[in-house]
Amino acid sequence: MKISPLITVFGLVSLAFTLATGLAPHAEHWSQHAKSDNLLGMMFGDARKLFANQFFTMADVYFHSGYYPSVFDQNARQEKEIISASRGQKETEVDEKKEDFFGKPKDWIDSFGRHFKITQHTHLENHNEREILPWLRLAADLDPQKIETYTVGAFFLREHLARTNEAEAFLREGLRNNPGNPDLLFELGRIYEATLPEPERARNVWELGVRKVLELNPKTDEEKQDQKQTFDKLVVHLAHLEEGAGRFAESIAWLKAAQKVSPVPEELQKQIDALEKKVSAPQK
Amino acid sequence: MTTILQTEKLRVEYRSQEVRQGTKIALHGLNLEVRAGEVFGFLGPNGAGKTTTMNVLLGFTQPTSGTASLFGIDVRQPIARQRIGYLPELTYYYKFLTAEEILRFYAKIFGIASGEADKRIAELLKLVELEHAAKRPIKSYSKGMQQRVGLAQALINNPDLLILDEPTSGLDPLGRMKVREIIQRLKNEGKTVFFSSHELGEVETVCDRVGIVHQGELKAVGTVAEISRGHENLEKAFLKIVGFQTTTPL
Amino acid sequence: MNKIFALAGVVIKELYRRKDFYVLFVLTALLTLGAGTANFFHDDKIIRYVKDICLLLIWVSSIVIAIVTTARQIPAEREARTIFPLLAKPVSRGQVIAGKFLGCWLASGIALVVFYFFFAILNGTREHSWPVGIYLQALWMQWFLLAIVTAMVLLGSIYFAAPSSTNTICFIVVIGLLGLGGHLGKIALQQAPPVQNILMVLYFFIPHLEWYDLRDFVVYDQPMIAWPAIALATLYAAVWTAILLFLAWLGFRRKGLNT
Repeated sequence: MKISPLITVFGLVSLAFTLATGLAPHAEHWSQHAKSDNLLGMMFGDARKLFANQFFTMADVYFHSGYYPSVFDQNARQEKEIISASRGQKETEVDEKKEDFFGKPKDWIDSFGRHFKITQHTHLENHNEREILPWLRLAADLDPQKIETYTVGAFFLREHLARTNEAEAFLREGLRNNPGNPDLLFELGRIYEATLPEPERARNVWELGVRKVLELNPKTDEEKQDQKQTFDKLVVHLAHLEEGAGRFAESIAWLKAAQKVSPVPEELQKQIDALEKKVSAPQK
Repeated sequence: MTTILQTEKLRVEYRSQEVRQGTKIALHGLNLEVRAGEVFGFLGPNGAGKTTTMNVLLGFTQPTSGTASLFGIDVRQPIARQRIGYLPELTYYYKFLTAEEILRFYAKIFGIASGEADKRIAELLKLVELEHAAKRPIKSYSKGMQQRVGLAQALINNPDLLILDEPTSGLDPLGRMKVREIIQRLKNEGKTVFFSSHELGEVETVCDRVGIVHQGELKAVGTVAEISRGHENLEKAFLKIVGFQTTTPL
Repeated sequence: MNKIFALAGVVIKELYRRKDFYVLFVLTALLTLGAGTANFFHDDKIIRYVKDICLLLIWVSSIVIAIVTTARQIPAEREARTIFPLLAKPVSRGQVIAGKFLGCWLASGIALVVFYFFFAILNGTREHSWPVGIYLQALWMQWFLLAIVTAMVLLGSIYFAAPSSTNTICFIVVIGLLGLGGHLGKIALQQAPPVQNILMVLYFFIPHLEWYDLRDFVVYDQPMIAWPAIALATLYAAVWTAILLFLAWLGFRRKGLNT
């Protein structure tokens, strides 16, 4: 029997169409890629977290204007990311700038090669910090669950670039992807407290953060340590907020809560003592 | 008469691809002499050693032992090829170049001055009837046109010795006639032509002398008349020399 | 020398008559312009990532052009049998190697100039700055890196029969040298003998291509590098190129070519 080529093609197309309509509902379960709601996620698939980490590191490289240790550098630091300023501690940033990431040259090749490498430890400044933002944006797109991306991005937007709205929007995006995350709530509170300033909103956000951090159920020691640190910074900031508002009793209560987890409880005790003096002092 | 092309005890061995076969001897102490101004036909059945001889003369293959020289210069010296023109059996040229560009390129290789090269290129394009297509890339040429580019490049340096490898193979009768015409013309100009061919009729027509090579050795050399002596024609002589036995009358 | 230049001229003509370069250039331009239109946090002053992406594309494109153009030279001459009429002329095999190298290297250089010109225009219009000195140094160093790469590929093309295998092997070697070359010494120190000794020997005997990557200096607006260092690196590249070309010549000079 001789079948016309046209009929063969028509038959194959019909078969493909039938298979497509039949399989499409099942296909979604086959692959996580189909669930990705953005192009980058779809392109990179499950490797997107690796790329997100790489892009986050790129932000760090940019922050150091290319002065960055490779994975092979012996005196490379243990922590992968070294954006000291991300913690909002200018002192640490100054200390870090004194560090030599590469150490002394090991041989003439290493020594001569340094002519062609950036060997000055600098940090971006004068609003040039904006250059790290694309990499943070990409990191957030690829791994929306990476909290540091939002906190670092928000910090630079708020502290260095005075772009409070963008910082808030970025954190809110982080919260949409990670509902109730205490670290994000803490950063959001800092925007309301220090930048806008809207202490009432900061209080609400931080109090929510405290509730959320207490709801966490850490399993590993590292997670337990993180929980303590987050709780510590939330309550200490709440204490200072209440102190600023003249609500010393509430401030003392937060500081006492902080003492339970703080690595420097004696420092906090001094603050509590000072506040108690203020409370007991006669009102003028 | 001056010897233009000479080989002495030329031996070429190839290492066979197959382990058991060891080495294969392509040329077995070949002695050959081509004199100035003659048209020399180099004949032999397939695998006789014609191409190997040409490869050695042109520096494509290194001899295992023996010597080969052109104009008295060892063929391993590039300068030995300064006064020769070579037309391969199958012509292939840079397809992205035009005929004019390819001739200019070879003129530069020969160190021909720009003005002289221009003149020579124009003459050759006219000779091979490619003036109209001179500025077209070679990839757009027909097979015959490409063959004519080959002929033009072989003549770019106005060579004293022209080496032609099966120059008429694959050509239509018109193309063959053109090649024969050019060989005749070069002969009239006192040039030496050394060519290999299967076309015995053609050899008879244009050659002054003929050499017949078989199993890597030169079996006979002389004028067409000398070789054909005692035979009906050159073809019969050739078949006798290479030991061909027919089962049916020719 | 004229013969070498004539041979080089054919290679350059081949480059601009083939489509490879144009495809890579258009791709680089489109991807760069595409990256440039992206908006991050409503800040239109962000520029470095565009420079970075553009330079990365220029690097990849130029290495692709150098490797692919060079890898096909000798094998294509043999396959297309153009080598026979060429070697039947008064040209030595050394001159063929030198001409092919020069052509591929100059062709890569021309491509590089076009790419860097595009980069300079793009950057100048966005940043309104023209750090010509560092651009020249970056271009110069990259060009000399391509000299080593071209010579290496030419050597590979003598020994490997197919251009595709030369391409693949050379890509892996170049990427390996760029990525690991400078760190091999540090890796060696973390190993036990004899691996340590082998890695150390390798470290000192491989061409250090990583020196020729000055992208960071361009991206991060760094000052120019001292010229004596550039001169020494140029000399180092020239020595390595000569070594590789010499090895290519050794392989090619007695190679039998049967018609």
